Amino acid sequence: MNGSAPDSGADPDDGADPDDGADPDDGADPDSSGGFGRDRPARSDGRLDSDRRQGTPYTESQVIMPTVKIVAPFAFTYGLFVTFHGGGSPGGGFQGGAIVAAVVFMIAFAFGIEATREWLANTVVVALAVGGTLVFAGIGLVPVALGGAFLQYELLPIPDPVKYGMEGVEILGIGTIVAGVLMGLFFVLANGFSDAGGFADADAFDDEVGDGPETDEARDDGSIDGTDPDDGTAPTDGDAPGPAATDGGRAADDAATDGGRAGDDAATDGGRAADDAATDGGER
Amino acid sequence: MTGALAPVGPLGAPVVAQVTAIEASLFVFVVLTALFTALARDVLAAVIIFGAYSLGMAALYTFYRAPDVAMTEAAISAGVTTVLLLLTLAKTTRADHEAAFESVNLPAAGAAGLLFGGLLLTMGDIPAVGSEDAPIWSNPDVSQWYIAQTYAETGVENAVMAVLAAFRGFDTFGEAVVVFAAGIAALIVLHREVFA
Repeated sequence: MNGSAPDSGADPDDGADPDDGADPDDGADPDSSGGFGRDRPARSDGRLDSDRRQGTPYTESQVIMPTVKIVAPFAFTYGLFVTFHGGGSPGGGFQGGAIVAAVVFMIAFAFGIEATREWLANTVVVALAVGGTLVFAGIGLVPVALGGAFLQYELLPIPDPVKYGMEGVEILGIGTIVAGVLMGLFFVLANGFSDAGGFADADAFDDEVGDGPETDEARDDGSIDGTDPDDGTAPTDGDAPGPAATDGGRAADDAATDGGRAGDDAATDGGRAADDAATDGGER
Repeated sequence: MTGALAPVGPLGAPVVAQVTAIEASLFVFVVLTALFTALARDVLAAVIIFGAYSLGMAALYTFYRAPDVAMTEAAISAGVTTVLLLLTLAKTTRADHEAAFESVNLPAAGAAGLLFGGLLLTMGDIPAVGSEDAPIWSNPDVSQWYIAQTYAETGVENAVMAVLAAFRGFDTFGEAVVVFAAGIAALIVLHREVFA
């Protein structure tokens, strides 16, 4: 239970230590990330430590990143094939959607969950999940509107209605729901539990709704400059001025430790975010 | 697709009551990984062994000509579930253990053994794998009907998908909504407004 890493193990009151919050690269430290949580001391207040240690563990690997770069296009294509070819070969929307989501998991493990989260906006995830459900219900309801039964494909006003109605349900309905929800589960689990993000806190709610998807990450990663020792517990934390700065700092850190990856998308993103971070830091 | 479902071996002979070496090793692998998943004291080890178990099950399903189920098992159970469990593990505190395995609770093991023995007694009445007399295969109103009529009725060759999306489409709609609701439930439980 007690940490193998002396610096974190010697810190009994985890939540009140600004230095701890100032280390966004917690997961990149080989000593701590290798332990998969072994180094983390138990919280003194008995809560799960997910809301305190929000930084997702990430270690850059020169093996994983090139491997994923090579494998991901093929895996993604295979997922699409399984989805689109479900009528003629084993597979279908469920399997194909899961493979497509697994490609996103792969990318997140190789290039960092936060970077992937920025790349794949919340809008995409929600659009996939909600859109798929609506398409499935819509394809089911069109025959009802035409006087038939729910999902009575023969009545669809398209050529070869049974076959293409089924394909539509599999590809645009089930496949997108599964892909979207699995990606969403992955990102929301990576974010962990939110103390202040719930409906109980009106300020945090407004901030999240008003400022878009990145806002809640301000609570997640701890503040870069360490000026916010109450990270994760203060309700006003949601309107910290620099959610982008926080993430940008993370990404910048990643980019900095990875000089050889110039020209790469993630590096470019990191550089841009670094500029943002610098600007934000200057404003403070 | 339908041809691959016919219960005959590669040489046309019925595959009845013969266990090949591949099958036997898959059985042993699956049983061992299941046991180690239950007995491993370290959660990370248990999660990884569980992923191996799912991969073994996927291979077994492929071997028994259920490629749709095998794909689901490989993608969801071996892939996605393992990743989500690892992610959850990375966000929680993980205890250090002296011993590699859980100590076995003897009464519980005895009860499980009794149940296993009781189930084993029913094995004699289960049709052999690939037997043409197995009710699930020989039934003219269900399996044979779907195999014969799927293409004519739906225009797709994969009978599994035809059953899921057309013949039992309303069930599948419910399942899809359950998946969607699971995503919403995760947001609510974790007090989040957005996924990403």
